[in-house]
Amino acid sequence: MTTVGRTLGWYRAPILLVAVLASLLLIVPFLILVSTSWTAGSFILFPPEGFSLQWYGEVLGDKQWMSSFGLSLWTSALSTIIATTLGAAGAIGLTRVRSRTAQRWIRTAFIVPIALPPIAYALGLYGVNMNLGFLRGTLVSLIVGHALVAMPYVFVLVSGGIARLDPALRPAASTLGARWPLVLWKIELPALLPYVLSGALFAFVIVFDEVVLAVFLLPIGMQTLPLRMLNASQEAFSPELTAASTLVSLLAILLLAILPLSNAIRRRRGGTRRPSAPVLEGVVE
Amino acid sequence: MTVALSISDVNVTLGHNHVLKGVSLDVQPGEFVTLLGASGSGKSTLLNVVAGLLAADSGHVLFDGVDVVRRPPQKRNVGVVFQSYALFPHMTIGENVSFPLLAARRPAKERRAVADEMLRLVQMPGMADRSPASLSGGQRQRVALARAIAANPGILLLDEPMAALDKQLREQMQVEITRIQRKVGITTLSVTHDQTEAMTMSDRVAIMRDGVLVQVASPEDLYRRPADEYVASFLGEANLFPTRDGRICDDAEGSEGTAVLRPEDLVVVPLSEATPAWSVDGVVRLLSFQGTRFRLELATDGGRKVICSLPTSIDASTLVVGSRVRVACAAPERVHVIAPPVVREPVLVAA
Repeated sequence: MTTVGRTLGWYRAPILLVAVLASLLLIVPFLILVSTSWTAGSFILFPPEGFSLQWYGEVLGDKQWMSSFGLSLWTSALSTIIATTLGAAGAIGLTRVRSRTAQRWIRTAFIVPIALPPIAYALGLYGVNMNLGFLRGTLVSLIVGHALVAMPYVFVLVSGGIARLDPALRPAASTLGARWPLVLWKIELPALLPYVLSGALFAFVIVFDEVVLAVFLLPIGMQTLPLRMLNASQEAFSPELTAASTLVSLLAILLLAILPLSNAIRRRRGGTRRPSAPVLEGVVE
Repeated sequence: MTVALSISDVNVTLGHNHVLKGVSLDVQPGEFVTLLGASGSGKSTLLNVVAGLLAADSGHVLFDGVDVVRRPPQKRNVGVVFQSYALFPHMTIGENVSFPLLAARRPAKERRAVADEMLRLVQMPGMADRSPASLSGGQRQRVALARAIAANPGILLLDEPMAALDKQLREQMQVEITRIQRKVGITTLSVTHDQTEAMTMSDRVAIMRDGVLVQVASPEDLYRRPADEYVASFLGEANLFPTRDGRICDDAEGSEGTAVLRPEDLVVVPLSEATPAWSVDGVVRLLSFQGTRFRLELATDGGRKVICSLPTSIDASTLVVGSRVRVACAAPERVHVIAPPVVREPVLVAA
């Protein structure tokens, strides 16, 4: 940082200004929202009237809020597992495809769900849900749909990790006598683990927050957390809502902090033993 | 364990490129042979064929007389040191070195013992618990070598082993690898484009050009008796002259072959004396002092460049730019004459 500052001199002032303004634009509304949640009154107001955690107690004590939270948690977890498995398997499997043209097509197929408008995708899945009777009233289509939405992120992150590996690792392992299962389990997966984990993290955060698919695919009577928040915002604008969104944001921040923190701890403890690949490296680039 | 390697008539086509054109090579058990050639000559391709990482279109690879051309790399029992070393980044040094034993499902105790033994052999004792990321280039190479020979392979393959090292370390590792190779007594095939490296390390050097082995001989033979002009000028510096009746002639007309005169074999002789057999006159173009030798460049009447490497003990005052001098070969028995290439009619086979 200091070297950049030194070489840029006062030219960096406008850059700094834009950066500060941009972060203010992102952070200030969030901070305002958070502050409205600790109001002692019963309306969303800024500045908040006094200080109390009553609305947090309200949310955490409410059976409906908590069941929505639980539902979001376990469906997102399942979707994440499916997305991570598919995305990582796709990225690793792609390296086995010899034909370049085939590689390009497969890569495109794995990334395309990002570009698909969620509403169109949701409508399509809704149709499937209606036509296949055994799916009606289950969470299968929601979980699978969420998994497919999140899979490209895992695929891209793991592919990035593969590009950073030495291409000679696999030939080296095979001349040392390892067949493909051993190469996969002992060489490729461990070497790619940081990328797989950060892919999973991203998948979870994206799925947990997703609401369009949830609107269409949730069975009657069930509401995921984001859907409940959406509905709550339409009914009454109570500080309960901002309290809930603060809690969800804290959860997301906590999750995103877990991996870098665990890496730092590992580095401090036994840095010489294992190389610590920065987990979110792929994301930053 | 050491194995005789025999490569016979191997052909490889990659895309539209005929990369290897009927290459045959025999390597004795315990011998160190280097494939030397410019980039794109097919030397790495040949190494990959021996390792089993690349399938040959035709031809055979024999280990102790057994054809292994259909065997996958896992079953060839070869050790390969890759250019990048390909150390597994998430494993410790010890786990890297003992990986071939893990692949062979040996117990942990034995793996640990072999890793320690191998690390002692490459002079890195007690480093088993470190990570590859914490090593220097030379240390990584030692680990790669230790891993390659840990499972006691029959053949060791080195793919540009020194490419990633700086010059000083390179010379040190050349000696080191040769020491280990001799100690283990393993048949070794190495690939390089560095002629010093090839000369230093090998029992024999195979010069490769455009997918063909041009000459396979000991380093001294290659230098003294190159098979053709390409080899002569590829290895060290060489003055090439057309010859007639055992003399140098300046014009190629009626030449009976090409004489190879190495710069260090030439001496300056007085113009007045009777002309010795292997001599040539020229005008001094450049004289430079290079520490241990003088380097003298002449231009003959026919416009050929002649390079002489002279000892610093000579009197250099007469070698002024523009003056006319005569140089002759001090050791006429060392002059090697390359026979002119026989023009071969392409063999036509009636289909």
